[in-house]
Amino acid sequence: MSEQHSREAPHLTCVECQRSLQEYLDGGLEKPESMRVFLHVRDCTDCAEELGRIEQLVALLESLPEREPPAEFDARILASVPYDSYRAMAGLRRARVPVFLEEESLPAWMRARAVRYAGTAIAVVAVAARLTGLLPDTAVTTVVAAAGLVPGAAYALQGMARRLVLALGQSGERA
Amino acid sequence: MFDRRADLKLIRRCKLGEEAAFQEVLTRYRAAIYNLCWRMTRNDEDARDLAQEVFIKVFTLLDRYDEQYAFSSWLFRIATNHCIDHLRRQRLRMLSLERDGGSDDEEAEMQIPADGPQPDVVMQRREALEKLEEVIADLPPHYRVITLLRHDQQLSYEEIAETLQLPLGTVKARIHRARNMIQQILAARKYEI
Ligand SMILES: [Zn+2]
Repeated sequence: MSEQHSREAPHLTCVECQRSLQEYLDGGLEKPESMRVFLHVRDCTDCAEELGRIEQLVALLESLPEREPPAEFDARILASVPYDSYRAMAGLRRARVPVFLEEESLPAWMRARAVRYAGTAIAVVAVAARLTGLLPDTAVTTVVAAAGLVPGAAYALQGMARRLVLALGQSGERA
Repeated sequence: MFDRRADLKLIRRCKLGEEAAFQEVLTRYRAAIYNLCWRMTRNDEDARDLAQEVFIKVFTLLDRYDEQYAFSSWLFRIATNHCIDHLRRQRLRMLSLERDGGSDDEEAEMQIPADGPQPDVVMQRREALEKLEEVIADLPPHYRVITLLRHDQQLSYEEIAETLQLPLGTVKARIHRARNMIQQILAARKYEI
């Protein structure tokens, strides 16, 4: 196995092997490289001992005792946070939308819920009337239905565009 | 090691001025940052002051945090720089007191006194850990910090590279070098761990 391997890649020298031991332990080596270290350590007492020393050292390093911050540690930090300026900034971020996307830029009658619902109802009734033969003319039906849908559609589209712009603006700020 | 997505959510809440979010970030990282500062200085008061200053700085400058990196990397970078600056200032004060500056080379800071305690004493584990802390404290600051990030905070090589803004190769070489230094100092002082 090891001879077959040595035909593909030359064996490591001890210096090369010891340079790779830390990464070998951390699992940071590519498979073939890791295999070469494994084979070298298996056959070389010096490098096996060095590996043992590193393992022991790393185990100790990873078990250093943890210290608790003093009791009043958090208070001074939390007292110094400029909460208000973050809140003020958050308000500014929210307001960043072009004027025509503000809800108020639509005429009041179009925004009124009663108008939007009534318009939608008219459109539905017109289409239903055409389907049942009460309204003979398709062109008339289309005009009536379209007119009925205008307030609701305008309101919905504007809302969608506003949310999109806000979302894009926020992710733009973060990038 | 740290939950990157959860951190990002928290930081966004912080940016809206939500007090509970700041408290949560602090709870998540206070021990890590305090211990890093403690091991860099080995002094309770310095560690407390440095760690508090790090959090105050971070919490004040959240708008400068670039979200394409992990928050933990940014936090550890600020903590690392703050500790190293502190050590540098401390060293300059000492030098100006002595009026006899030695070499400016960082490596020159590393002293390997051979007159440690009695040689060939096999120490108990607790004692071994104390010796190891002492040895880490004697590493040059940049090697000290990389050892702590790797083995104490258990960051990956990639996370350390992002934190210290160093190429991956440099990170690996420094971790390797730092470990060699530790072994050298241990051997020179005849510490057995
Ligand atoms: Zn060997």
